[in-house]
Amino acid sequence: MKGYELPTFPFRRAPEQDGQQIRHRVAIVGGGLTGLTLACDLALRGVETVVLDEDDTIGVRGIASRGIVYEQRSLDIFDRLGIAERMLETGRTWSVGRVLSGEDELWSFDLASDPTLKHPRFVNIQQYYVEWYLVDRLTELGRTDLRWKNRVTGIAQQADHVALSVETPDGPYLVEADWVVAADGVGSTVRALMDIDTHREGNNDFWCITDVRLKQDVPVERHTWVEAPFNNSKACWKHMMADDVWRLDFQLGQCDIKVEAAPEKAAARAQDTFGDGVDLEVVSVVPWEYYYQLIDDFRHGCVLFAGDAAHAFSSFGGRAGNSGIQDAENLGWKLAAFLKGQAPESLIDTYQEERHPAAAFNVWVTQRSSRFMAPDHPHERRLRDAVLNLAKRHPFGRAMVNTGRLSDPWTYDDSSLTTSGGEAIADRRVGDQGLFDSLSDSTAFCAIWRPAADAPDPLMAALAELADDSAASLETLALCPAPSGLANRLGDAGLTTVADADGAVAASLKLEPGDCLLLRPDRHLAAHIANATAAEITTARDRALGLVEGADH
Amino acid sequence: MKTEPTFADPHAFYDRLVRAQEGLTEEQREFLMNSLVLLMANQVGDDTVLAACIDEARSATLDNYATDGAS
Repeated sequence: MKGYELPTFPFRRAPEQDGQQIRHRVAIVGGGLTGLTLACDLALRGVETVVLDEDDTIGVRGIASRGIVYEQRSLDIFDRLGIAERMLETGRTWSVGRVLSGEDELWSFDLASDPTLKHPRFVNIQQYYVEWYLVDRLTELGRTDLRWKNRVTGIAQQADHVALSVETPDGPYLVEADWVVAADGVGSTVRALMDIDTHREGNNDFWCITDVRLKQDVPVERHTWVEAPFNNSKACWKHMMADDVWRLDFQLGQCDIKVEAAPEKAAARAQDTFGDGVDLEVVSVVPWEYYYQLIDDFRHGCVLFAGDAAHAFSSFGGRAGNSGIQDAENLGWKLAAFLKGQAPESLIDTYQEERHPAAAFNVWVTQRSSRFMAPDHPHERRLRDAVLNLAKRHPFGRAMVNTGRLSDPWTYDDSSLTTSGGEAIADRRVGDQGLFDSLSDSTAFCAIWRPAADAPDPLMAALAELADDSAASLETLALCPAPSGLANRLGDAGLTTVADADGAVAASLKLEPGDCLLLRPDRHLAAHIANATAAEITTARDRALGLVEGADH
Repeated sequence: MKTEPTFADPHAFYDRLVRAQEGLTEEQREFLMNSLVLLMANQVGDDTVLAACIDEARSATLDNYATDGAS
C-alpha cells in the first residue's frame, strides 16, 4: 500500500541536554493538530513555546489521513494564523451531497457557500497537510522550539513550575516550564500520569477508513449511506480529499477488526463502492473505533488540557479536530494576555468555563448521532427503519435522519467575560479581501463600528482617542461607504475604514450607526453596544480580560 | 398534554387503528405502529407535550407490567 509521503524532522539535542538551565514559559506536549495550532497562535502573540512530540514526523508516519473536514470557523482561525490559503488551494470543496439508504436516495443538498462570508462552509483536506502547513508557518515565525523525538514520560508540579521528564534518542532530560499544555491526543500520557478520569464510554462500533485513488474521473459529490448495500447494510461515507484521493469510511460494527480491515477485504469493499468498471488503487487502510471521553477540569494547577486529550467523541459532524482548534483559539489569547501582564491569572480559568460546556455539548450531540447510526438494540433498528422509510416520503422524516451535524463554533453567551453576544464573528468578504485583512494587528481586541452619517460623531471621537492610546491596544474598523468625505475624515483621525458600499456587511452584523461590536482577540463577540461610549467599550474590554468581577446578563 | 378526549368519535378512531393493521405480519404491524407514532408526533411538534406523552407512555407501561400487585 502506497501511503502518504510526509517530511521527517531531525532530532536535535536540546540545550538542556548540554547542561543549560532553561525555564520555558509554555511547554506544549504533542505536536499534532491542536498543539501546533496553539503554538502558532501563541507565536503570533509574541509568546515563545517549546513543543514536545514523540515522533519525528506529522501525520502518523504516512499511513493515515485522519480528520479531513475543516469547517468555516477553523478556516477563519487558520487564516488569522496564515495557512488558510494553502489549505484552500490544496484541499477540496464540494457542494452537492446525497444521503442514501439501500438503493434509494433519501435526499440531496447543495451546500453552496454563503458568498458574503470570506471562507466556504468547510474544506476537505487530509489532516497531515494542516499539520504540515502549521509546522512550516511556525518555522517561518521563528518563536517555537519544535522538539521531535521528545517523549514525555513523567510530570511533576513544583512550587513555581512544572517539570517534564522527557525521553530522547540521546537519553532523558528535564523540561521546566511555567505552564504545560497537554495536547497529546486521545490517549494522553500527561493525563494518564496525572491519573485524571476520562469517564470513558464506548460504543463497540468499528469503522474502517479506506483511502483510494481512482484512475478515472467520477462526479465529485459526497455520498453518505445510512445503509449501504455494498457494506452489509451498514453505513458508508464517500468524499474526496486533496490530491484526488477519495476518503471512504465503512461502518463495520462489532466485528473481528483484524479480519475485516485486512488489505484484500478493504480493497474489495472499496471496489464494491465504486463498481467493477472503476480502476482504483488503495492508498491507506486504517481501522478505528470511537468512544466518548470528557475530563472534568481542563485546568489542573499549571497544566492545561486541550483537544482530544481533554475530550473525545464520535466523528459524526467532524467535531473532534475542529473543537481542538477552537480550544487552541480560546486558550492562546488568554495565556498570552496573562503572560504579558494584561490580565489576571483568573482569565485562564475562563478557558475551562467556556470550553468545557462546548465539549459537553459535542459529546451529547454526537452521542445522539452514533445512537442513530449504530442502533444498540433490534427495536432501535426497527424504529430507525420506520424513520428511513418515512424520509423517502416526507420532509419531516428526512429531518429525523441523524448522520451528524457539521461542527460549528460555540457561543460564550453565559461566560463571565461576555457583556453581550459571545458568538464567533465570521470573516466577511469585502471586495476581494476579508473584513479582518484591514487590521494592522490581527491579535488585538477589535471594535467594528458604524459612523454616524453626520458630524459630530461622539463614537468616532471616542474611538480615535482609544485607538491612539497604545496601552489600550484596540484595533478599529469603521464600515462606511467609500470613497467618501466620511471615509477621508476618519482616515485623517487615524481610524481604519472598510468600504461597505451597500451596507451589506453592517447589515449582516446588525450594526446601526453609532453601534460598536467589540471583538475579543479570538474574534468572539465581547459586546454589542448601541450608541457606544468610550467608557462602555473599555468596560466591556476589561470584562473580557477578566479584570471586572461578575457579569450582569 | 391533553388527557380529556378530543376525538369527535373515539370508537371510530379505534376501529380505524385496528383495521389499518389487517393483513399484516407481526413485523409489519410493529413497523406501522412505529411509523404512525412518528407521523403523529410531527403533528404535535411541541417538545414539552411530546416529552409528557413519552413519559406517560413509559409510566403506564411500567405500571402495567409491575409484578408486585401494587397496581
